[in-house]
Amino acid sequence: MTERPLTEEPLTEEPLTERPLAQLSAAGVAGAIGVFGLVGSLALGLGRLTAPGPGLWPFTVSVVITVLAVVLALTGRHGTDTEGFTRASVQTAIAVLSLVVFAALLPLIGFEIPSLLLVFVWMRFLGKESWVSSTAVSIGTVAAFYVLFVVVLEIPLPRLI
Amino acid sequence: MRLIQVVSVTAAVALLTGCGGVKTTATGGDGEFPTGNIQMSVGASPGGSTDLITRAIAEGVGKELGVSVPVVNKPGANGALNAKELQSAKPDGYKIAVQNASLFTITPLAVSANEAVKLDDFDLIGGISQDDYVLLAPAASAVKSIADLKKSGKNIKYGTTGVGTGAQLASALAFKQAAIPATDVPFDGGAPALTALLGSQVDVATIQVGDSIAQIKAKKVVPLAVFSAERIKFLPEVPTAKEQGYDVVVSQYRFLTAPKGTPEPVKAKLLDAAKKTFATEAYKKFNDDHCLTPIEGSPDEVRKILDEYATKYKAQLDQYQISLGKK
Amino acid sequence: MDFLNPVIDGFGVVLQPTNLLYCLIGVVIGMLIGVLPGLGPAATIAILLPVTYGVEPVSAIIMLAGIFYGAQYGGTITSVLLRLPGEASSVVTVFDGYALAKQGKAGTALGVAAIGSFIGGTVSIIGLTLLAPVVAEVALDFGPPEYAALSLFGVLLVATVGNGGRTKSVIAAGLGLLLATVGRDTFTGASRFTFDTLNLADGIDFVPIAMGLFGLGEILHNLEERHRTVPAPAKITNVWPSRADLRQSSGAIGRGSVIGFVLGVLPGGGATLSSLVAYAVEKRRAKHPERFGKGAIEGVAAPETANNAAATSSFIPLLTLGIPANATMALMFGALLIQGIPPGPQLVSEHPDLFWGVVNSMYIGNILLLIMSIPMVGLFVKILRVRPAILAPITVLITLLGVYTVNNQVFDIFLVIVFGVLGYLMKKFGFEPGPLVLAFVLGSVMETAVRQSLLIFGGNPAGFFTRPISGTVLVVLIAVLALPAIRWAMRRRSVESRDEELV
Repeated sequence: MTERPLTEEPLTEEPLTERPLAQLSAAGVAGAIGVFGLVGSLALGLGRLTAPGPGLWPFTVSVVITVLAVVLALTGRHGTDTEGFTRASVQTAIAVLSLVVFAALLPLIGFEIPSLLLVFVWMRFLGKESWVSSTAVSIGTVAAFYVLFVVVLEIPLPRLI
Repeated sequence: MRLIQVVSVTAAVALLTGCGGVKTTATGGDGEFPTGNIQMSVGASPGGSTDLITRAIAEGVGKELGVSVPVVNKPGANGALNAKELQSAKPDGYKIAVQNASLFTITPLAVSANEAVKLDDFDLIGGISQDDYVLLAPAASAVKSIADLKKSGKNIKYGTTGVGTGAQLASALAFKQAAIPATDVPFDGGAPALTALLGSQVDVATIQVGDSIAQIKAKKVVPLAVFSAERIKFLPEVPTAKEQGYDVVVSQYRFLTAPKGTPEPVKAKLLDAAKKTFATEAYKKFNDDHCLTPIEGSPDEVRKILDEYATKYKAQLDQYQISLGKK
Repeated sequence: MDFLNPVIDGFGVVLQPTNLLYCLIGVVIGMLIGVLPGLGPAATIAILLPVTYGVEPVSAIIMLAGIFYGAQYGGTITSVLLRLPGEASSVVTVFDGYALAKQGKAGTALGVAAIGSFIGGTVSIIGLTLLAPVVAEVALDFGPPEYAALSLFGVLLVATVGNGGRTKSVIAAGLGLLLATVGRDTFTGASRFTFDTLNLADGIDFVPIAMGLFGLGEILHNLEERHRTVPAPAKITNVWPSRADLRQSSGAIGRGSVIGFVLGVLPGGGATLSSLVAYAVEKRRAKHPERFGKGAIEGVAAPETANNAAATSSFIPLLTLGIPANATMALMFGALLIQGIPPGPQLVSEHPDLFWGVVNSMYIGNILLLIMSIPMVGLFVKILRVRPAILAPITVLITLLGVYTVNNQVFDIFLVIVFGVLGYLMKKFGFEPGPLVLAFVLGSVMETAVRQSLLIFGGNPAGFFTRPISGTVLVVLIAVLALPAIRWAMRRRSVESRDEELV
């Protein structure tokens, strides 16, 4: 058995910092989901332990989530495994927006144009690639996907051509 | 350079998949129907009875009309999702679907109103075939008929193919009428229910004939009753529930539908192509392989069958105070 | 050794050039659709079904079987390189596979996975050859109570495979269990958490959840990371595993083969459970379990071996009992019927040439896959040299379109985006997606099995302990649970004090 020492591997992680607020909000979100589950499963009806209703199992799970969210809020405040949001997070928001636009356009005008735009926007604006390569790659990608999905695999994607 | 790599990798992938496929083009167009491909959607995953029937018909209709007929699986909500999509599709005959009677006759009795689908929202093209249910017991048990179950005197655990299916309805009605104390154990489809039966995890199970014929022939399971109106040719020696004194007639029935408002000539052409498919040897063999009884009636006959089923089921559930969904 | 004669005849069938060709076509197609996320073997076989009408039965089934196990190989590639697990049984591979890829050891991971898959597959075929009828009978003893016990075991394992904080792992797993309840309740028909949309009536599909949380979540996270650190394309240190790597993973491959074969026989979730169990076993056995999740080669070898072994042994119920265990098997069932061969308990005695032809084609198919993998690994690893700015949008596009193909619904694209954002936020808040996805898969099995069991027991939970298999599993489970809980409580103190020092 040759155990490789950990230090040999490149350290890609950035230094971790303490963020009590992030931990608290994580606990808060988890707790909110737990409470939502509790309310929802109560509305479904719990039944009895020997003859469970539709809500009993989700109720049990929700209790666990809620309790652990409280535990996390109390004990995890000094955890070091969270990252804060930075100005770069705007990039992510734009990216998500572009995906939503893609999904909204797909059933309306087919997959070709939205795919082209998606690849182009991600490369040119989010990736800061050159105009030339962005254009070339986006056209090439869509053409390749067309051949693969439509011509070869006959997948019924909504499409223009 | 890197660009070339990406393109070459993608191209290699595309090239390699090239073996054995049929080309598909876009749907619809001008001129006399059909000018483009006709899409048949299925409200179930690949591999199920409805899927296989659709594929068998698509194959024949495509040959008949000289266009390609791709099959698209849109599983969800027992087929209601597919039904709603078909309902809102353009009524030009380029989108059609095989649908299950149970979606219109049984499912509404088990699920909430917003999931229910109405038959009037579709144009009927024609009937296809009937798929029957059989009540089975493991070979090891001494039970040979419904009466034997009653004699055993114990609470019978019966497996079904799920809530809101014909299997559940048929077994619930049979046990209620026979006054046999019984507990419904729903499984997710025929295969898991049959597996549980083979392992004697449940006392009996109701499953589609096509899903269990091999095990019946191999004498791994014993058929107690079929739930059709008359004996079926695939199990001629098995008495119906009716013969045994219980008024339980439940079958799955499938038919071809198009969106409401599809032009008559288009429907006629589709029906004609379907009829010609039904007449082929290959399709007849398919029916026999899957134990399907062809009932290739006109739209009016289909509607009549469905209305009768729906009324009867509802009345019987009320009469015996059975509720399929325990909501 | 009379019983071996049909086996040897079966080899004669496979080695006919046409059958070899169909086997090759099958595994190539399988491998490629495995690479495309979302597009599964079931959909592909459905498309190819008409093509097989005119083909000899044995050849047709050999090709379709090739697609099925070939897809298992292909799924590994995207799990390791792009963090996109195409199937539930590849989720576990992502943990260490992607970590290895980030360290420039993608070749090692893929190579070990290919070798492990080959060995796992082969061991499983040998098991299938020798034990199929026996195993099938034993599998029938697994009823709902046994599934309930096994899946409970699986769900509890989920919490131990994670690397983050234990509390957060369990919360993530809980979220997975909750997501598994979305949709129509199998027992009452009541709609749970569907918000009155029909799209959720059958629950959420595995693919959008896994693709979103793992693949898309990672890409969204990397987008902002790119601006903080210089994007250094991972240096590829080696394309093929070293002898040391192979020696290190040999134990994991051996154990994974057995675990995969045994659990794969169980229909429904067998392959996923086997990959999870194999991983957990290796982590538990390791001298330094903390290496897992950070690029331990055994963490790739074990689950990959197990899921391939499981894929092979899942043929047992179909071939010996005539019961299709999943959608892919259901299509094979249909294909056999078309060919005039009803699959059923009598298949082996009535059509020994077909049975052994198919079984033996799997030996050949696995060898073909291994041979193909060697140049393929080199080719696919080059993907990592592509700049993230180019690779990211292409990956995203494959993901979005691939997810669409699962149910042909745009709704699923929106779902994958939602889970992508969730995956991104989870990463920010220090949660791991692994426990969520695995709990999601096992959760629905568990709830169904528990409730079916209660119906069978007439509502008496003590029934679980009256059956030999479920009783044993549960008793072992309780014992195993009690032990580390005590140890954990004791170790916790020392860990906490160490944490304080770090801060």
